[in-house]
Amino acid sequence: MAERNVESVNKVREAVSQDLLGGRIDLLLGWEKGHYWWQSRPLFARSEADLEKLAWDSFCAVNLSRYLLEELKDHDKVGVLVKGCDARAFNRLLQDNMVRREQVILYGLPCPGMLDYNRLVEKAGGAPLEITEENGRVIIKVGSGEQEAQRDDLLLDKCKDCRYPDPAVYDQLLFSPQGEKEVTERFKTVEELEEMSAEERFGYWEKELSRCLRCYACRQACPFCSCRECFVEQENPRWQGRAYQPSENFMFHLVRAYHGTGRCIDCGECERSCPVDIPLQELNRKLIKDINELYGDYEAGLDPEQEPPLLTYRPDDPAAFSEK
Amino acid sequence: MKKVIAREKLPELWKSLAAKGPLFLPIQEGPVVLFQPWSEGAEANLDAVNTAVSAKDVFLPREETYLQYRCSGNQLELIPVENAEPVIAFGVHPCDLKAVEMLDKVYLDQEPSDELYRQRREKTTVVGLSCREPDPFCFCNEFGINPADAPGADVMAHLKNGLVLLEARTDKGKALLDQAGDLLQDGSDEKFEAAEVKTADFGLNLEGLPENLKERFEDPVWDELYKSCLGCGVCTYVCPTCYCFDVEDFGHEGEGQRFRCWDSCMYGHFTDMAGGHNPRAGRKERVRQRFMHKLQYYPETFNEIACVGCGRCLRSCPVNLDIVQAIKALGGETVEQR
Repeated sequence: MAERNVESVNKVREAVSQDLLGGRIDLLLGWEKGHYWWQSRPLFARSEADLEKLAWDSFCAVNLSRYLLEELKDHDKVGVLVKGCDARAFNRLLQDNMVRREQVILYGLPCPGMLDYNRLVEKAGGAPLEITEENGRVIIKVGSGEQEAQRDDLLLDKCKDCRYPDPAVYDQLLFSPQGEKEVTERFKTVEELEEMSAEERFGYWEKELSRCLRCYACRQACPFCSCRECFVEQENPRWQGRAYQPSENFMFHLVRAYHGTGRCIDCGECERSCPVDIPLQELNRKLIKDINELYGDYEAGLDPEQEPPLLTYRPDDPAAFSEK
Repeated sequence: MKKVIAREKLPELWKSLAAKGPLFLPIQEGPVVLFQPWSEGAEANLDAVNTAVSAKDVFLPREETYLQYRCSGNQLELIPVENAEPVIAFGVHPCDLKAVEMLDKVYLDQEPSDELYRQRREKTTVVGLSCREPDPFCFCNEFGINPADAPGADVMAHLKNGLVLLEARTDKGKALLDQAGDLLQDGSDEKFEAAEVKTADFGLNLEGLPENLKERFEDPVWDELYKSCLGCGVCTYVCPTCYCFDVEDFGHEGEGQRFRCWDSCMYGHFTDMAGGHNPRAGRKERVRQRFMHKLQYYPETFNEIACVGCGRCLRSCPVNLDIVQAIKALGGETVEQR
């Protein structure tokens, strides 16, 4: 695994070096290792020395496309490494007119899914020392020995039901595509929540959202939250109060979710970023499911030419609320 | 005064201690452990090394109502809210308690002291809990903190062989153990020492760093360091030494409450001024503020770096832009380890 990993990082580095050092791009958005082997953090590479730090491993979960919102202000042309979800995030920004396609070079990385440190700990029964990966299996070294697990069981929640691991948009695809994956449990929790009575469901969300610190990590990590000014910060009128009250928790999370209806690419960065593990993706998935049921299957971010259902009008659009 | 109780008897202890006022404990809340008031049926988790959010919530709550108001016609009625109940914070680890001492310096040791904080601090009895095994994110050793002991605790607790050893160190602590009465047994024969605990060694060299940073407000390092910051408030909210707050009203139709709540220097609106100017307009200025506050401004006033190595920002920052990252970027790293 270690060797294979070095090989693939080299391949990525080779592809982007030419462009960065040759001046085709001014900046490369990639990943580098953090303090720990289970963390890969954003890298803003401008030089050969920067590229030495480049990482591409099982922990590159951070969605880099969002950084384009800022970086395109200072750079004419930016290269970005994009996994499947990152590429859909790019399309999201493109559709929202937040980025210009000709200013960006996308290096596509078909993604095996990223691993969750907490799952490694759970599986290992303690702090893991290192892992090796082989053929869909992960061997976790712990103080007392080794534990073996299926890679699929160690994925971040956001990666578990990923249907499109391959980038939907790219200028250069760096590895062979994995193909569309069959996902069976994407809406499982949503269906369970739908089964509940309204009171039960309200209670469920009231409890889950009660942990919300209002740190807005979900919003800041989100590729559909690209408004220059969020309703949360608007002073007049003041929509969002700061009290830690159920009404304020619902105000923030429901308005945010509704704002993403038909626009959420289901990358799960909101949930991954949440420091208190609120199952935010279920809110978004409920709305994805509703959109699919009302307007036909729609996968946000797959095709930038296809307008999100709620941003367009067809005479035969269903009017479920008025029909009932 | 030394006492012991078997771990399986703890729910009885919680019940008895919670009878007189809020008993804060590390509580398992779904997938995370949070420092929260215990209630019947809540699952205390004393094995968790660190709660997702620090214990500062007890002393400087994320939200604290201090005034109620009612208006009718031209009449405005203001009703102060008393928070007079005694509070017990059980299971505060040494890093978190050290951080509370840092909050004390801000809120108590300066004139005028903060009345709300003072009341809460005085009425709180702290039961410190030694750490047995550190999290990989823990690095309190770097700040000279001993995970085996929390010097400021009223009662120091150790988990040992299915027992909880409790040693009262102050009058408040004795009163707390007295309150538990027969639930506790004499512990004078037990050995009340926790084993040494080694936390992560990042090879930080903090000596002289605050002084060194004094002239580095315009250092080019800030132009790079902030880049990955998403501009959320995770770091400030999980951090035990961040202490900024805002004041706001919650209410409608002429009645409501005035409360103060945590605020974050990572938010653009944090420094919005009347007239529209914002001295910290961008993420660079805000990231600089946060790290300069920890590493330069606080130490300049209070002679210590405002970090206790709890590791929460290392664990929770969605993009791993944490204090160790900052210290290293600013040169606070032992050269051999580079």
